[in-house]
Amino acid sequence: MLSANIIHFLIFPGGLFALCLGVFMLSLERIVVARLQGRVGPPIYQNFIDVIKLFNKEILVPKNAKEAVFIYSPLIGFAGMLAMLYFIPIPGVYEGTNVNSDLIVLIYVMALPAIAHILGGGASSSPYAAIAVNRELKLMLVYEMVFVIISFSVAIYVGGGDAVFSLKKIMEYQQLHGSFLFDWKFWPAVIAFVVFVLATLELPPFQIAHHNDADVMDGFLIEHSSIPLAIYEMTDAMKIILLSIVFQIFFFPIAITDDLIINLIWFILKTVVFVMFFSFLHAILPSFRIDQGFKFLLIVPTALSLITLILVILSVKGLI
Amino acid sequence: MSIITRSPFLFRINTGSCNGCDVELATTAMIPRYDVERLGCRYTGSPKHADILLVTGPITARSKPYLLEVLDELPNPFVVVAVGTCPTSCGIFRDSYSIEGPLERYVKVDVNVPGCPPRPQAIIDGVAKALEIWKEKIRNQK
Repeated sequence: MLSANIIHFLIFPGGLFALCLGVFMLSLERIVVARLQGRVGPPIYQNFIDVIKLFNKEILVPKNAKEAVFIYSPLIGFAGMLAMLYFIPIPGVYEGTNVNSDLIVLIYVMALPAIAHILGGGASSSPYAAIAVNRELKLMLVYEMVFVIISFSVAIYVGGGDAVFSLKKIMEYQQLHGSFLFDWKFWPAVIAFVVFVLATLELPPFQIAHHNDADVMDGFLIEHSSIPLAIYEMTDAMKIILLSIVFQIFFFPIAITDDLIINLIWFILKTVVFVMFFSFLHAILPSFRIDQGFKFLLIVPTALSLITLILVILSVKGLI
Repeated sequence: MSIITRSPFLFRINTGSCNGCDVELATTAMIPRYDVERLGCRYTGSPKHADILLVTGPITARSKPYLLEVLDELPNPFVVVAVGTCPTSCGIFRDSYSIEGPLERYVKVDVNVPGCPPRPQAIIDGVAKALEIWKEKIRNQK
């Protein structure tokens, strides 16, 4: 029993499997963006080499930095992602831990990578990092709220009035009654979730805090090098997998057969489509300023997710 | 060891150039058209991530302290590429009162890419040569 849990935690579906898949997905994202811009792009194993290379580099710590926080903060986000991938079920592939309130845990843990960024950037003593941390905090205030509202709409709809916080029950409900992706009441929430993913992965138009070379250079990662930077990259890789799983659980948890291998291939296929969709958005969208980004997040996805919440409450009461 | 040399991160610093080389670097040679990403390269916003430093411009008195700071912040081993005529010989700005170049006074230049501005293909060739030198440096370090 214990050894099975350790395998689930470290190798499959958490740990090694999610890490490798996620790193390949980040490379795939770069390739798709390159092809859409008419270039060749890097090879599929590029991000894998990047991570290996970063482990071989010299660690630099700025003179004024708080050294312990600066070096160990990336581990917070990484540990959070690792634990969460053990917790949540994968449709048709993995049972999850069958805890009755894992949606609440998910909401908390989703914020950990951003908190790791904020701690690491804040401890680095760089003015660029300070600006980036400020922006990240502002964005986080809003996009976490959007995610909470979407989660609660799904939970309330599944429970028929009482909120059900078990991801497994949410999946089972959709496997019986059809997935929420084809339910018109959830279409605003799907769009809001897409905006949430763009904001939390810092893809355009929300690349305000990071990757925005024009004004904040490399944002909160500017002083990091070597192993801390590699851990941040690995956290990003696992986060993209986690977001894909969460999307599938919330809106499209359909498994085709009972066979594990075919379901696993189906899951990977869905993740590839998910990543390619966001690469497409990455390639076509420009960047916001911080005030525009904040206003957009405050108005559009919040309003869309609230519309879904209201529709769900009305439908639970039997009014529509 | 040879696998990690396929992932160079680039950092670009303008030490008072006329912007010609920067335009070639930023808009044609590197990412958008001729694409060094196929060599595994990626632009970084911080010298602390970088493996290859691209310098454009004769070193002006104003930019010299920043260049020295960047050279100080690069993690070892790194490769320096001088892009254009200016960092090699100061070009038409030579003997001006405000020029503190050439680049070779401050750091050993590994690759020179001549031209005013150099052709994009020449810049990519320079980066490819820099990769070979970087590989050699890693081998010597171990």
